[in-house]
Amino acid sequence: MDRSRPRRSHLMIWIWTIFVAVAIYLPVACGALAGLSKGRYFLFPIRAYSFEWWQKTLDSLEIQRIVQTSILIALIVTVVSLVLGFFGALAFARFDWRGRRLYQKLLLLPIFFPQPVLGLALLLWFNTLGIQPSWHTAIVAHLVWIVPVVTLVIAIQVYGFDPAMEEAAADLGAGRWMILRDVTLPILWPGIWSGALFAFLLSWGNFPLSLYTAGADSTIPKWLYSKMVAGYTPMVPALGTMSTLAAATLLLAGGAIAGFVKARRAR
Amino acid sequence: MNMTWTEQSETARMGAGQSETARAGGGRPGEGADRPALPVLQLVGVSKRFDDFTAVDDISLDIREGEFLTIVGPSGSGKTTLLRMLAGLEQPSEGNITLRGTLINDLPARRRPTCLVFQSLALFPHMTVGRNIEFPLKAKGVSAAERKARALELLRMVRLPEAYYGKNVMTCSGGERQRVALARAFAYDPDVLFFDEPLSALDYKLKKLLEKELKDLHKETGKTFVYITHSLEEAMVMSDRIGVMRAGKLVQVGSPDAIYGQPQNRFVAEFVGEVNVIGVTLSNGAWLSQETAEPVRLVLPQTMAGAERAAVVIRPEYMKFLAAPGDADNVVSGRVYNEYSLGSRIQYQVRAGERVFLIEMSRSQIRPGTGDGEVLIGWNAEDAIVVEA
Repeated sequence: MDRSRPRRSHLMIWIWTIFVAVAIYLPVACGALAGLSKGRYFLFPIRAYSFEWWQKTLDSLEIQRIVQTSILIALIVTVVSLVLGFFGALAFARFDWRGRRLYQKLLLLPIFFPQPVLGLALLLWFNTLGIQPSWHTAIVAHLVWIVPVVTLVIAIQVYGFDPAMEEAAADLGAGRWMILRDVTLPILWPGIWSGALFAFLLSWGNFPLSLYTAGADSTIPKWLYSKMVAGYTPMVPALGTMSTLAAATLLLAGGAIAGFVKARRAR
Repeated sequence: MNMTWTEQSETARMGAGQSETARAGGGRPGEGADRPALPVLQLVGVSKRFDDFTAVDDISLDIREGEFLTIVGPSGSGKTTLLRMLAGLEQPSEGNITLRGTLINDLPARRRPTCLVFQSLALFPHMTVGRNIEFPLKAKGVSAAERKARALELLRMVRLPEAYYGKNVMTCSGGERQRVALARAFAYDPDVLFFDEPLSALDYKLKKLLEKELKDLHKETGKTFVYITHSLEEAMVMSDRIGVMRAGKLVQVGSPDAIYGQPQNRFVAEFVGEVNVIGVTLSNGAWLSQETAEPVRLVLPQTMAGAERAAVVIRPEYMKFLAAPGDADNVVSGRVYNEYSLGSRIQYQVRAGERVFLIEMSRSQIRPGTGDGEVLIGWNAEDAIVVEA
């Protein structure tokens, strides 16, 4: 018997894990370091560290405005895509109707469209309809791409939901509203919650759709890109790092809340 | 116990102040023993079609106040659809369902004084045992304190410890979940309880225990129980009456004794248990078996007027090994193919050509060997039943 084999494969797993983690997080770490450089230009190794550019970023009125725009877009996209995604998921995961499969495929297709093409197509449409592109139109563009994703995420939860539960609730005297509030929503809650996180973060980080459809308004990814093209300052990596940290915090908080609720229910 | 329950449920109902429209009229057993028993639920010519498939085909049935009725049939026979129509979860395509004389075809489940215990139980996984049981009370608007008191009372009734009130329902065992589902159904205080094979997923021993407890609960509460199952054995243990379904039709309704003793046709007879069934045809005034190697003339207990074909049912315990051909009215020769132990009894498989006969006897009787030799088996005319082919 070769006793060293499990240990060796164990070692390989560890090496691989560390390699993947480094490959993913090293560039992010470099970006973060770039924002902490005292110098005006992007040079490695960094000669002097300071929080100067972080401070400037936080003080900038322009950045405050684009952060507000980004948050507003992401929040509205989250709410609208949750409502559409929730009922869409119920429609295609619960009920059997003619054209269900076609609807499923049509719904999924936009996810696989190249986003710049989708953004360009939407921009052309807005022009044709005589709509001035702004952050409002960006919301519509984000929804076209994010609603299918949210629908899918919630649908996975709906597939595991026993419809007899709603029937039992009705049979026990509950009305539609009580069934939704006390049975359907609490059971589908984990799916809705991850759908919300997906919606917010996908909108928060989206660049191609915002580039084409936000008009004169800017979002964080769009601002980062335009400053990289012309007018680089270390505020770019600083804001990029802040944006990443915000997303990571939201994700961790979301996971923690879900875990907390689950633990409370398990009692 | 019966009286106590009735009083309690009346108080709970009045306190709940819930709509009584569906409960008009009717009497409970014991209240009006001299009155003729009014059916609590009545089906007249009820059918249910899904596209071009007929799940339930023209069923008429009276469900009596306070009885334990079991509908039994193989899977796909339409028994679940029938139950769902009674519960209000499906609407009949044709025919009428009345509740104590009131037409309820379109009355939704939540307004019917009936409650269904689902096959999956459909317990709410995100609620504690207590909140599951309180659900129907909450729907009626009962106060929190009253709900809890009632839930604890119901826990005692289904023989669960009160400490289970705060327990996560998903951490309960299969048998405990059954009890929780039962308590939740009773919390609704229905006049009729429906059961859609709730015991099918349990192991044999627990199933036997819960079957008996369910029958005890039926006796204690005096409510009407309608149970469906594919297991006639289960139906026999619990029911006052049994209805046998096949391909959407109700083939026979009767007491367990009647179903067992006088099956109406070959399907019911074979469904009831392992039996020997021989198809016979009338030829020149004599009944000939068609399923033995060569036609054998059979002596039947009675014949069917006008029929050219019939089936003869002989239970394995009425078949005998014979010492001489004159020892029984009907005699077949064959070879013992195998023997199976059924606990206190032994079953033999005897083959006569292609035809298989089953014979059962107690262990104490003298048994034949399982060698290659020819044996004579037979039965007396009065031990056979003649049914529709």
